[in-house]
Amino acid sequence: MKTAPSSVREPPARRPDRWRSHEWIVTLPSLGWLLALFIAPTLIVFSIAFKPADLFGGVGPGWTLDTLRSLGNPNYPAIVWRTLWLSLATTAVCLLVGIPCGYYLARAPIRWRNTLVMLTVVPFWTSFLVRIFAWKHLLHPEGPVRRVLTALGLCDSAATLLYNPGAVLLVMIYTYLPFAILPIYAAAEKFDYQLIEAATDLGATRWRAFRSVFLPGIRVAIFTAVLVVFIPCLGSFVIPDVVGGPSAEMIGNKIAQRAFSDRNLPHAAALSALLTLAVLAPLIVAWGARNRSGRRAVPVQEAS
Amino acid sequence: MNRLLKCLLWSGVMAWAIAGGGCRRAGPVLRLYNWADYIKPELVQRFEREQGCRVMLDTFDSNEALYAKLKAGATGYDLIFPSSYMVAVMRHQGMLQPIRRELIPNLSHLDPAYARYTADERCEYSVPYMMSNSGLAYRRNRVPDFKPTWAMFDRQDLAGRMTMLNDMRETIGAALKFLGYSLNTTNEAELASARDVVIRWKKNLAKFDNEQYKNGIASGEFLVTHGYNGDVLQVMTENEDVAYALPREGVSIACDEMAIPMGAREVELAHAFINFLHDPAIAAENAEFTCFLCPNLASYELLSEEIRHNPAVFLPEDILARSEVIRDLGADNAKYIRVWDQIKAAE
Repeated sequence: MKTAPSSVREPPARRPDRWRSHEWIVTLPSLGWLLALFIAPTLIVFSIAFKPADLFGGVGPGWTLDTLRSLGNPNYPAIVWRTLWLSLATTAVCLLVGIPCGYYLARAPIRWRNTLVMLTVVPFWTSFLVRIFAWKHLLHPEGPVRRVLTALGLCDSAATLLYNPGAVLLVMIYTYLPFAILPIYAAAEKFDYQLIEAATDLGATRWRAFRSVFLPGIRVAIFTAVLVVFIPCLGSFVIPDVVGGPSAEMIGNKIAQRAFSDRNLPHAAALSALLTLAVLAPLIVAWGARNRSGRRAVPVQEAS
Repeated sequence: MNRLLKCLLWSGVMAWAIAGGGCRRAGPVLRLYNWADYIKPELVQRFEREQGCRVMLDTFDSNEALYAKLKAGATGYDLIFPSSYMVAVMRHQGMLQPIRRELIPNLSHLDPAYARYTADERCEYSVPYMMSNSGLAYRRNRVPDFKPTWAMFDRQDLAGRMTMLNDMRETIGAALKFLGYSLNTTNEAELASARDVVIRWKKNLAKFDNEQYKNGIASGEFLVTHGYNGDVLQVMTENEDVAYALPREGVSIACDEMAIPMGAREVELAHAFINFLHDPAIAAENAEFTCFLCPNLASYELLSEEIRHNPAVFLPEDILARSEVIRDLGADNAKYIRVWDQIKAAE
């Protein structure tokens, strides 16, 4: 690192007031894409939530607030709570494992590093569904994991490893962990480790340097990791469906039930809208936090 | 200018490749939308040879999925295989074309005994394809003291190794039968007691499942599952330890029917396919493969002993008398939805 750390951290000079027309034109296709295929469908889903349902899976004429009122269904809080805690726990574990993984990936000797990153990405070569079904075989009551655990005396022969919230949590962590590792690794790779040396020179322990210099330095990546893990977790449908038991339903499963077996599109739309709002809330918080952290010239002052 | 010409030329080549070059075999294409493992593939190939056409098969896993897809405007299917209650709904919604009986001479072979289980006794909009029922699959050597009753789901020694269908009508229906009520009841008190029974059973269930139970019972992951007769009989041909039982309280019977949706392009070919499947020899061959009952009277004598005298396929009189067809309940479906929500939410 030849450049001074502070100049590396500085955000690139932006001049929003001097946007030229051709920049608009360049942005137009992606804006159009977002508008037509993301914002418009979302608004349609929101509006269907205010329509009455008909008995045959259609959307009736006129407008109503009945569907919104029916969200007060006494059975929902348990499902919402389960969705929330599973998503939060998945995010927390993914961060706890992802940060050290990203750190060691970035610190690994260059000849190992590419192999290790490759190994992180390799699972993506296999279909998501196939990997979940592989878990079913691993956790099968007569499968390998179970046999090892029983042999070690860690579980008794009547306990089931599958079809409980624990199995859902395990498979969700497995699925989303690479999404947490990759952004953290990308940031950790660019991090200037001389700052950690400087911190230890100034008397900080290694842990203190890690906590007060490294973590704030990759703060943006941590936010990204939280977003890319937490948001898809909230919308999980396949994982609780395949490895979850009779009491592992999440909001995604309820939406599927409403749309398919109950033939109630407005209700499915209302639940989807609720989910979208639940996703937007952390996004806005993160966006605000990111803006704040972007404006600061971060780590040097904080480490002092 | 030269570049523009080249560009035009290439796009012409591409268009030709996409439109014509890709399909070498000429002739019409019949598009089926059916349940998985529900037709013998060799028979489809024979039909292709006989008619000089191609058949494309797409599958669905529930009547509701089929309905939702067609309701949302999916077109291009020429022949669909909904259960009778869904035929009634789709017919009411004007989603089906009338059947032209003169194109299906083999309709004369239909077994009148099963007509009352269909949605459409006179075959105006649909023709019966297969009869199914839902009972219990179990592992002979792993379940001590098995009894043919829905009360098996109360067996705590099998907790965590049993499944019931993830289908509100089937599963609440099993509890209603267990209690001696009709599985089409709209009586709130009966539904409430059925709810309590399913909630009690749920404590012993690994999950509610419609598809994976077949692999699960085959691999020994599950020891007792609630499932469809033909599906379980198919598993039994591969695994001798699996058996099928009809609960003595009665079961649900369903008829899956063939219907031609609005917007079908190959209407005559679809009729020809219905006629083909009701040719007695073909019907028998198909029934042997799928292990379901094709209500085709002339085909029965061509069936093997195993199928012809299998109580799981041809239900015994006493069970039949206590069994019912699931009917669409219209507005009263909401009662079942409410009960199902309570069951799913209960701890």
